[in-house]
Amino acid sequence: MNEPWWIDGIKSVVIVNLVLLTFAYMTLVERKVMARMQLRYGPNRAGPFGLLQPMADLVKLIRKESFFPANAVDTLYIAAPVVSAVTALTAFAVIPFGPGWEIFGYDVSGYVVNVPIALILLFALGSLGIYGFIIGGWASESKYSLLGSMRTCAQLVSYEVSLALSVLGVVIMSGSLSLVDIVDKQNETMWFFVPQFVGLITFFIAGIAETNRAPFDLPEAEQELVAGYHTEYSGMRFGLFQMAEYINMITLSALCVTLFFGGWHGWNDDVLGPLWFILKLLIILFVFIWMRATLPRLRYDQLMAFGWKILLPAATLNALLTALLVVAL
Amino acid sequence: MLDRWLPFLIYGLFALAIPVSMIVMSFVLATRPTRRSRARGLPFESGVSQGPLEQQRFTISFYLTAMLFIVFDIEIVFLYPLAVVLEQLAWFGFLELLFFIAILAVAYVYVWRKGALEWRR
Repeated sequence: MNEPWWIDGIKSVVIVNLVLLTFAYMTLVERKVMARMQLRYGPNRAGPFGLLQPMADLVKLIRKESFFPANAVDTLYIAAPVVSAVTALTAFAVIPFGPGWEIFGYDVSGYVVNVPIALILLFALGSLGIYGFIIGGWASESKYSLLGSMRTCAQLVSYEVSLALSVLGVVIMSGSLSLVDIVDKQNETMWFFVPQFVGLITFFIAGIAETNRAPFDLPEAEQELVAGYHTEYSGMRFGLFQMAEYINMITLSALCVTLFFGGWHGWNDDVLGPLWFILKLLIILFVFIWMRATLPRLRYDQLMAFGWKILLPAATLNALLTALLVVAL
Repeated sequence: MLDRWLPFLIYGLFALAIPVSMIVMSFVLATRPTRRSRARGLPFESGVSQGPLEQQRFTISFYLTAMLFIVFDIEIVFLYPLAVVLEQLAWFGFLELLFFIAILAVAYVYVWRKGALEWRR
């Protein structure tokens, strides 16, 4: 299935913008849902039901004074949020979202990029994003920033090990690293959240830690560190860090849907594929918000101990058991 | 083979363009400060003025974590290709996997018993 390059261009523009739109409204939905869970109203001034709030936030952030702390290393200080945001946005490219269609005689596939190493590519881009966090914290030359970026880095690398190991079972069962193949395999057999239930749990917990979400939001624990690595950031640069964080969360939820919940498959998925995908994505994003509203934050030593002593052996044993079952059956 | 990567390049360019344009726009549209003062540029310290800059020292656990990460991440890099072809290799592949993880488990138990997984304050 060879497409002309401009179809890839159109798909890229649509997907990038949809991801950004999801990010913008995620911020609103998160504030709204958390507010309702805490018996508040949440933002409701900008537009009906506060629907224009993300636009107002964007205008506010972009109009803020572009500000340099006295000691900051200027080039790196600006480059860091861009690095994080770019890698976060790029990682979404490998997620398949539909079966592929024929539009005006052109074959349009249901993914932007289908490479044989899609899963590794996605994790690699996620790891590159850590550079943005650590450079940003280091370049702003402030105690809180530096401490926050050290914590972020240590937490992200610890949980990345468990995250990568927890999907090993899925890779063994499908025999491929391409997300398109993994989705197809789930359609032939069954959705992997049944046989890979332990994998799903470890993946989800490690994923929450990877995206710095509560209860693992130690990098920006505001009672101890003010705001972690982006203490010295304001305006659009702060906005880009937030964007990176939310898009990482969206990508991770999309990956969760793709690996464990059958991707875009569902009832009548030839036509409704993308809608099924978005529905499942939104449910998982809601769980993220729900957990943030419900669970208290861990202590740092508990966090590290949990990652290395419980999650890592659990993910390894799961992979080993899956390998045994796949070979024996 | 290589043309599979062309869409990734196109997508990557768009993904690069958006954050860069946001940064550029924030320079163009930002409000200018009307008054300069030295205190604004100081690092945030909750209102306490910053003392003389001192050497930052971190607990050893951060360095240990970094080293453990390298060991276990390389483990994963080796395991992924094996996982892809495991079904064709069948029992040979499984024994290889078991052998590999057993060696790692020895190291893991050693690291645990040595206390490298405890977080030090």
